[in-house]
Amino acid sequence: MRKGALKKKQRQLEELHLDRREALGELVLGMFVQGNWDDSLMARGAAEVSEVEAELKTLAAGETPEQDSAEHDFPVTGEYTAEHGLPTGEHTAEHDLPATGEYTAEHGLPTGEHTAEHQLPAAPSTKAERDAKTSLPTPVPAPRPPSATAPTPSAPATLKSSPDPAKPAAKAPVKDPSEKPAAPAAKPSPATPSPAAAADPAKAASPAPAATAATPAAAPEAGKEKSPLDALSERLEASESQAKTAAEAAKASAKADAKTEMTAITREVEADQKKLDTTLASAAAAIKTAEEKAARAEAKLARESASSREAAAVWVRNQAAEIEADAALAAEIATPGAGTAEAAVPPSPGTTPAEKATATVEPDVAAVAKIASLEADLAAEKASKAEALNAAEARLKQIEATAKLAEERIAAAEAAAATKPAEAAPVAAATMTPAESDKVEAEAREAAVNWLRGQIAALRHEIESAPAATPAESGAAETATAESPKEGS
Amino acid sequence: MGLFSRNKQSGRERRAMKDHLDELDELRRTSLSELGQITVEMASDGTFDRQHLSAKATEVVGIDREADLIARGLEDGLTLEELEDLARHEDEPGTDPGQ
Repeated sequence: MRKGALKKKQRQLEELHLDRREALGELVLGMFVQGNWDDSLMARGAAEVSEVEAELKTLAAGETPEQDSAEHDFPVTGEYTAEHGLPTGEHTAEHDLPATGEYTAEHGLPTGEHTAEHQLPAAPSTKAERDAKTSLPTPVPAPRPPSATAPTPSAPATLKSSPDPAKPAAKAPVKDPSEKPAAPAAKPSPATPSPAAAADPAKAASPAPAATAATPAAAPEAGKEKSPLDALSERLEASESQAKTAAEAAKASAKADAKTEMTAITREVEADQKKLDTTLASAAAAIKTAEEKAARAEAKLARESASSREAAAVWVRNQAAEIEADAALAAEIATPGAGTAEAAVPPSPGTTPAEKATATVEPDVAAVAKIASLEADLAAEKASKAEALNAAEARLKQIEATAKLAEERIAAAEAAAATKPAEAAPVAAATMTPAESDKVEAEAREAAVNWLRGQIAALRHEIESAPAATPAESGAAETATAESPKEGS
Repeated sequence: MGLFSRNKQSGRERRAMKDHLDELDELRRTSLSELGQITVEMASDGTFDRQHLSAKATEVVGIDREADLIARGLEDGLTLEELEDLARHEDEPGTDPGQ
């Protein structure tokens, strides 16, 4: 191999080694984040890294890497086991292995160390012996279970290739060197078919000639060294598969990161929700207090407006009482002789100075309207009283006129009486003395004056008791009073 | 514009953040490689010291967090002071994704 190609390969291997180490680190990081440690997975990844490391060391030592070594063809994943042909005994006999031992790996022996251990056919074997071996019915070595403590005689050949993820390939148990080399091929374990047999039952079941027919193309290749590029391509394929594993691990770690991020975000959201709830609660409390304040203010306003209305009503009542008192006083003034009892109208009961003070408060529109109506009523009352007063004055005048008429009638009666005594003087003179006649006349006059006084008092009483009496009634009374002196007279 | 941005991010700050992000990326790769190497050595010994692995993984988690913070600062256009405030806020308990 040229030096340039070797350097390139070395560079590629170094990059691969670095990538695998990083992938393994990602894997461990994902396990740490998830808190789910998997030793087998770590061992598997470590085995992949150590594999590349070993190749790199080999290359650095100036040796070409062993082709199809067990380390390369049978990674710990075991997924290539069937593809690359497990070291069944049939190949051992079939391919005329040279004494160099360089094909040992191809035939299932992981490294050269097993060559000496098992005394592989590096030692020249006769054709007859090989034929005898190939004629055996598929001497398939049993794959060693991961925890096998009593391996079958063929176990040493498969130990390194067995996918034991818990233990790296470097820790594969070393068998006793004193073990017979021919034992594995001579003592097959028919109960447990090999992975190769499982992958290709026809091949496993077929006798040696069939296997021989299937491998003529491989035999010449095995005779030669594989080119480094082929080996490199094979290793690259293997590394691709391992990179897939690493990518899966990276995906797992990314998922774990996403989970942790989600957890952190969820916590933040919960904290924000709590803050929001507290803020809402405080806002609700503030709104409640504001509502209570508003209710209190409304109640206070209602109370104040009610008190102001009441004060206005009191003021109106006071005003009405005062007006009534004024009207009564005016009526009393207009009617001299009327009782003064009504003039002294006391203020309405329950009127306190405070109310009088609050009465100065300007009433509202309703109160003004009420006042207006009360004023209108008062004016109407005043008008009616004025009319009554006029009527009373007219009646007084009539009464006075009737009184004058009565006096005139009395005078006429007196005159008539004066004339009549002259006519009847002869009769009276014959019966009484002049002193007695004067006395009788004086008594008659006195009786007439007393009657008139009684009539006038009765009229005044009538006027006072019924001030709003209609003029017609008063006229009727007048006529009655006018007629009564006639009757009395 | 960033959610918490009060001032404008200067070009110098942006460059510094980018450089630091690159450094963190390189440091992360190195740490991961070291973690992988440690794992290989432990595998060759046959035992895995999870405490040691956890310590190393915690370093990587810290690097990741710092890188996320710087990336957020670059994305939101935060100044260095705002980024420091944000880092202090994220250092509060309950927001550590590694715990």
